[in-house]
Amino acid sequence: MKKILLSVLLSVPFWVMAQGFQVNLQGQKQIGMAGAGSALALDEASVFFNPGAVTFLEKNSVSAGVNPLLFKSAFQQAGSNITENVKNKIAPPFEFYAVWGPKSNKWKLGLGVYTPFGGLVDWGDNWSGKYALTSLNLKAIYIQPTLSVKITDRIGIGAGFVYNHGDVNLQRAIPVNFPDGHSGKVTLDGTGKGYGWNAGIYINTLSNITFAITHKSKVITKLDGGTAEFDVPNSLRTSFPAGNTFTAELPLPATTTLGIGIPLSKSTKLAFDASWVQWHIYQDLSFDYATNTSALADTKSARNYRDGSSFKLGINHQATEKLALRAGVGYAFSPVQDGYVTPEAPDADRYILSAGAGYSFTSKFEVNASFFFEDVKSRTQKNIETGLNGTFKTLVYAPGISLTYKW
Amino acid sequence: MVGEIIMKKYILNSLLVAAVLFVASCKPEIESPAGTTAGTANFGKYIAVGNSLTSGFADGGLYLEGQKVAYPNLIAEKMATVGGGSFTSPFFTDAQANGSGYLSLTALVNGVPTLTPVTNNLAYRDATHLAKYTGEVQNLGIPGMRVDLAFAGPFSAANPYLERLLPDAQVGVTTYFQFIQGRNHTFFSLWLGNNDALGYATNGGVTTDATNVLTDKSTFALLYSNLVNSLTAGGQKGIVGTIPDVTSIPYFNTVTVAALLTAAKAINPAAAAIYIQTGTGAVRAATSEDLIRLPFQSAGLFGSTASSPYPYGLHPLNPIANNWVLDKDEVAKVKDFVLSYNNTIKSLADSKGLAIADTYTYLNQVKTGIVINGIGINSAFITGGAFSLDGVHLTPRGNAVIANVFINAINAKYGSTIPIVDVTQYRGVKFPN
Repeated sequence: MKKILLSVLLSVPFWVMAQGFQVNLQGQKQIGMAGAGSALALDEASVFFNPGAVTFLEKNSVSAGVNPLLFKSAFQQAGSNITENVKNKIAPPFEFYAVWGPKSNKWKLGLGVYTPFGGLVDWGDNWSGKYALTSLNLKAIYIQPTLSVKITDRIGIGAGFVYNHGDVNLQRAIPVNFPDGHSGKVTLDGTGKGYGWNAGIYINTLSNITFAITHKSKVITKLDGGTAEFDVPNSLRTSFPAGNTFTAELPLPATTTLGIGIPLSKSTKLAFDASWVQWHIYQDLSFDYATNTSALADTKSARNYRDGSSFKLGINHQATEKLALRAGVGYAFSPVQDGYVTPEAPDADRYILSAGAGYSFTSKFEVNASFFFEDVKSRTQKNIETGLNGTFKTLVYAPGISLTYKW
Repeated sequence: MVGEIIMKKYILNSLLVAAVLFVASCKPEIESPAGTTAGTANFGKYIAVGNSLTSGFADGGLYLEGQKVAYPNLIAEKMATVGGGSFTSPFFTDAQANGSGYLSLTALVNGVPTLTPVTNNLAYRDATHLAKYTGEVQNLGIPGMRVDLAFAGPFSAANPYLERLLPDAQVGVTTYFQFIQGRNHTFFSLWLGNNDALGYATNGGVTTDATNVLTDKSTFALLYSNLVNSLTAGGQKGIVGTIPDVTSIPYFNTVTVAALLTAAKAINPAAAAIYIQTGTGAVRAATSEDLIRLPFQSAGLFGSTASSPYPYGLHPLNPIANNWVLDKDEVAKVKDFVLSYNNTIKSLADSKGLAIADTYTYLNQVKTGIVINGIGINSAFITGGAFSLDGVHLTPRGNAVIANVFINAINAKYGSTIPIVDVTQYRGVKFPN
């Protein structure tokens, strides 16, 4: 079975990206609830969703999960009857969490490794937007050690330090032609790092309605000494020197979330999260080349993101002692304004639908699975910088599975 | 218990596999009206009437690669989705693919191009005549064709591109006007008249023969209306193109007076002015309003003292000759004629309810620079991307851009939805590797 599953996974397109570059896949249970759950002390994924809730987890645990994401984006130029689709690529967002603390004590330690931002898009080398972008592979891996403390029996606070390891590979065609007619190309490849923090407070009221306030700070990721490789005809080589490098900066936004958890019955809980994603820090994408020439100036492409937001409602139902069922709906407002939609992030407002299930095989071993679907609205606009004029439409599918061991 | 676990795992995995298979088959759909209707037009049989631009002439010659991407051929390809029929062109054979021969960029050193003629696989049947082409032709573009000469029988013998399309008995007898008739077309494009002004301009405002006369305005109006009347005689719909401003092409904006002066000062810092002989025979210092022809940069004349003690172009006693320069007054004259021609074209089109591809306006925008799908396009020589190595005719990319100007105008006029051409699929100038 494992083999069959693996082969299926490898043969279908996978792809990471949501809400700009935000990937909302950080915990299998929460994914099943459309990404809501900051106000529920559900499991070790609270390290990400709300460090303040971690101390309320009953057990110590480790878990690991993966959510191979299918980002199916299509583009049609204004006035054209040809629809172009992204190529099939695999880049699964993953999550790993560990929570430990002495039983019946007031504090717990946590560790989270997760991928809150990323993008893998490959439009192919010869599509109509190739001079804007042919492919982007962006990965941000956050590593977050965390401390969570009970202030009272009903209030917990927690905070974690975030280290981000970022990888970027961006490719696009250059509109100069070789003798056989094919276009030039540039590949920008670099690794960077950044720092931030994640903190939250968890409040369990007397009515057992729970509240959460969390803030995940911005993480300015700096890329230094990335390679800029230009594939151009030799007669233009002096304009695009070999061995060039670049520096760039990718600001990853802060997110502030208000969460509410409502117990509907002993076995059923509702979760609602409202998030404010402070994308306004992403004003431009700039590349500063080590060597400039008359044909190769540093670039500063306006992005002018505004803040985005999302609203997510999920339900968790413990159907039997061993089986939990989950579902969720959500809506997210895009940070990308008209005129700034690019093939690297063909973003628009989106609907979110999800479902999930968990099964406890023993008191120590648990499997959770989820299915996450986003319908990114069709968006027609003309990019101010490139003049790329047309309609993007994207559907996102992410099946996922995680394994948890508790003690 | 173990069986149950395996069973549960099996169900879970099966669900996941099913989900993955399901979504893999779900592609996002984008609805589009493009390619669904011909509107009030009938594209069943399209003919293209015009000059070198229509024929696909590029890089100073007519050759197969250029013919294949001539703007009418690109339009016809897209018309096929809305009832367009086949579109035939007088292509050179693969064995004679280089046709008349053309210029190739063989070196680019410090921005200075070396242009080398391509001389293999040509299509000449003798020193001056091209291999004959027989058979149906819908791309009727003839390099060098003018509105006035479209009515001159002898021109069909003098012009090798028309000559190759005619049976021997018609050579020198049949006019272009007659040649384009009787083709049972349902739709036409007419982009003619450029050479009526350009022939004069590219000869520096000097008239030596019928190909570099500046066609009289009223003659132009009369003959152009004959063309339009003939093409619409059966009630056919069509599109006409306006004539670009001659100053919008690299041929006249590459070798600038300022560039020459900079080059002169690099050798002799005392150089103060570039001297030209104007159309009136007067000699004066050139200004930025005087336009020097592109071939001057490789003519080997500038600064030369071969035929005079004074360096060519740098002394009043050895000015740049009149035929190299479209001086300020000549520029104004050509602009005035082009405006008049365009008024004729537009008013005739309006009276017949024809679509207008306003290439005059469009190429003026290109002159200042446009961006299409991430490609910066302007009228700079070589690097601008739209104009080929002769500085007048279009690259494949330029043809694609112009094809869309026509397509958009046709769609706007007739309510059709001919899909646009993807400009990114067509090259600019080829750079040596």
